[in-house]
Amino acid sequence: MRWWIVCLGALLPAAGHANELDMTIVGKPPTTAWPTFNGDYTGQRFSSLQQINDSNVASLQLQWSYRIADVGAQRGAPVPVIKATPLLVNGTLYFTIPNNVYAVDARTGAKLWSYSWVDQGGHLVGNRGLGMYKSWLYFLGPDDWVICVDSNTGKERWRKQIADARLQYFTTTAPLVIKDHVLVGVGGDAMDIRGFLVSLNPDSGDIQWKWWATPGAGEPGIETWPSVNAAMHGGGGTWQPGTYDPELNLIYWGTGNTNPVFAGQGRKGANLYTTSIVALDLDSGKLAWHFQVSPHDTHDWDNTEMPVLINADIEGRPRKLLAQAARNGWFVVLDRTNGKALVSTPYVKLNWAKGVDKRGQPIPDPAKEPSVSGSMTITSATNWMSPSYSPATGLFYVNAAEGVAIYYLLDTDARPSGYGGTLSSLGTSTRFLKALDIRTGKARWQHEYPNLNGAPSTLGPGLLSTAGNLVFTGDDQGNLIAYSADQGKILWHFRASAAQSNGPITYMQDGRQWVVLAAGDTLYAYTLAPAALNRANQ
Amino acid sequence: MRPKCPGVASRLALFSAALLVCGPAVLRAQAEPSAAAPPARSGQAVREFLGLGPPPDPEAAKRGAPIYATNCAFCHGPLARGAEGPSLVYSELVLEDEHGSRVGEFLKAGRPERGMPAFATLSDEQRKDVAEFLHQQIEDIANRGTYQARDILLGDPRKGASYVSEHCLGCHSLTGDLQGLAQKWRPVDLQRYWIMPPRKTSDRAITATVRSPQASWQGRVLEIDDFRIVLVEDSGRPVAIARDAGVAVELHDPLAPHVALIGALSDSDMINVTAYLETLK
Repeated sequence: MRWWIVCLGALLPAAGHANELDMTIVGKPPTTAWPTFNGDYTGQRFSSLQQINDSNVASLQLQWSYRIADVGAQRGAPVPVIKATPLLVNGTLYFTIPNNVYAVDARTGAKLWSYSWVDQGGHLVGNRGLGMYKSWLYFLGPDDWVICVDSNTGKERWRKQIADARLQYFTTTAPLVIKDHVLVGVGGDAMDIRGFLVSLNPDSGDIQWKWWATPGAGEPGIETWPSVNAAMHGGGGTWQPGTYDPELNLIYWGTGNTNPVFAGQGRKGANLYTTSIVALDLDSGKLAWHFQVSPHDTHDWDNTEMPVLINADIEGRPRKLLAQAARNGWFVVLDRTNGKALVSTPYVKLNWAKGVDKRGQPIPDPAKEPSVSGSMTITSATNWMSPSYSPATGLFYVNAAEGVAIYYLLDTDARPSGYGGTLSSLGTSTRFLKALDIRTGKARWQHEYPNLNGAPSTLGPGLLSTAGNLVFTGDDQGNLIAYSADQGKILWHFRASAAQSNGPITYMQDGRQWVVLAAGDTLYAYTLAPAALNRANQ
Repeated sequence: MRPKCPGVASRLALFSAALLVCGPAVLRAQAEPSAAAPPARSGQAVREFLGLGPPPDPEAAKRGAPIYATNCAFCHGPLARGAEGPSLVYSELVLEDEHGSRVGEFLKAGRPERGMPAFATLSDEQRKDVAEFLHQQIEDIANRGTYQARDILLGDPRKGASYVSEHCLGCHSLTGDLQGLAQKWRPVDLQRYWIMPPRKTSDRAITATVRSPQASWQGRVLEIDDFRIVLVEDSGRPVAIARDAGVAVELHDPLAPHVALIGALSDSDMINVTAYLETLK
């Protein structure tokens, strides 16, 4: 009998045994691990797993839940909200809230360790998760610190500060690890930052390259600013992870809103490369191409929504595509080798555009800019919540919101600063789950959520689609929901203690397909009930 | 000297609860402002949430304003946003300063090699007051919880009057429910609430009729999602009904004509009507 125990011990990572991520699986379609924010580098959040499928999802059963009980109110945040997509590596789930990292046993939901950071400032709006390289995890404090933590113990290895929180830079993103690069972005609005993306050495944290989101003196793009000074404070945060095409060796990143946020009179012009999709060389950080989805943004329309990489046939020809459903309500499908638009069209009702320019970029209507007496246009059509693309259905899934607000210009100075304006929403917005055909941008189906209170503007459910013809997400009222991916029929739901708040993940473990998602302060883990599992395995 | 922005014309209270949940400076339509409460508490909450550092000392800032105006404004602009000299609100030295900790010493020595004179004749206290004045400018910019709307009443009341008589008087009356609206609400609230009133009173609540093969219910809707509806019936008793197959839900919205305005109303009609309603004191 002893040999059997010894053998098992050698096969499984026992307690104390180093948990090391096999870097050769990173970037492959995720099945037994979820080693990056999006699972792989495409941003599709699609799983080929189909043990759980449209015929048996109704018997999904909660296996465990883990509630964050050791953190109370944080400044400005009354209860913890898990916005992080967990990483799943060798049976351990790693996830975060601002200032805290958790490692939880994926089989039982038992806490293995936690790590706490004491910040010296920074915005506590959320933390979206971790990056992992071999045994190391990368976590961001809100005050611009990158912290490298041992995944086995939660012990800190090193810390590096990449920006100054007193200049109102803050950090919420999940670092993205690609080969020997740790890519980290920043946010900030209150004091007009100059956005940047930085690549760090995974061992030392040393800076490999830094890409500024606005051009400097004499650089291409500076002609879209009235002055170098305006560009130096022009915004363009990089506060969500991006995607990566290994064949082109390009990373794709969405850049944030322009600064000052609502007051555009001091920065006339398109304001590159804010509110854009940019393609950068992984090893040098050099810009390959850009596409500006929200030229001269004056509505806080961060363009940080995931640029999802898709390989599909268009008119009979295989194409390398990139699709994004943007916060300004615009849906684009681009050729990701060169940034040329194939589809460029609204996916919600909107009134701020006068059409598209010759590149397919929307043309904003100046009459819809915030004004002193008020100007009505849409509220954010989506935000950081993860979309999903299913190659099985050819549909791009996005949790959208349709609402209208009055936008006011408050700072009428010729040199405005900060937000410089505000918005006042009219009634409540309506949440829709939309399934967009990538060839047309039209919704093949959509589900309108009944809700008296509308959709919150910066919190919302992420999406996951699977080869089991399923889409996992939630509403804004505490229901975790599975839909049929092809038709949008509700097939399962579970009443959680809060609204679904992160990107769901799925993976195989011990012969069972698991689905893990978060709602508020709690992580929930599901598999099929035993009878359905037996049938699925027959 | 009051800074030009944010303005002083009217008060725009930001609701800390909505801000904390929603992030950007969004005013949720469901809440009504508490009369004329100053936005100070919300400002403090936003300050903490954003991590804006220690608050400026308003008294010291007030003392610093004339000192700044006399000594600094010529080069750095009246609001310290830059003129011939650089912007001081973006200055790292200022942003990293706490109550004069760095600005004080800096002013004493100046930076003569770059044309910045020393202000050694000012007292330590005066230099600290100048630092607080600068921090107040930064506070006014960075802390959106303290933002106040400027005078928004730029519409034409006569055009607003004809819109109202054409579109509103079927349901509303100038001598009845519309009278005195401007006394109840500040212009910025008047503008949003005449378009979409808050559902504060029960006559504005959404009601529903729910029918199943066995029974039917009617009442004010407390909650509705894809799976259940919760009603308060006339008896005051809340009832939760599962939205199973065969259960039909019919919603009635007494504010439906207002909902239809959202997205259909033009900006000019909006500001003209607001200007007109403001005259109905």
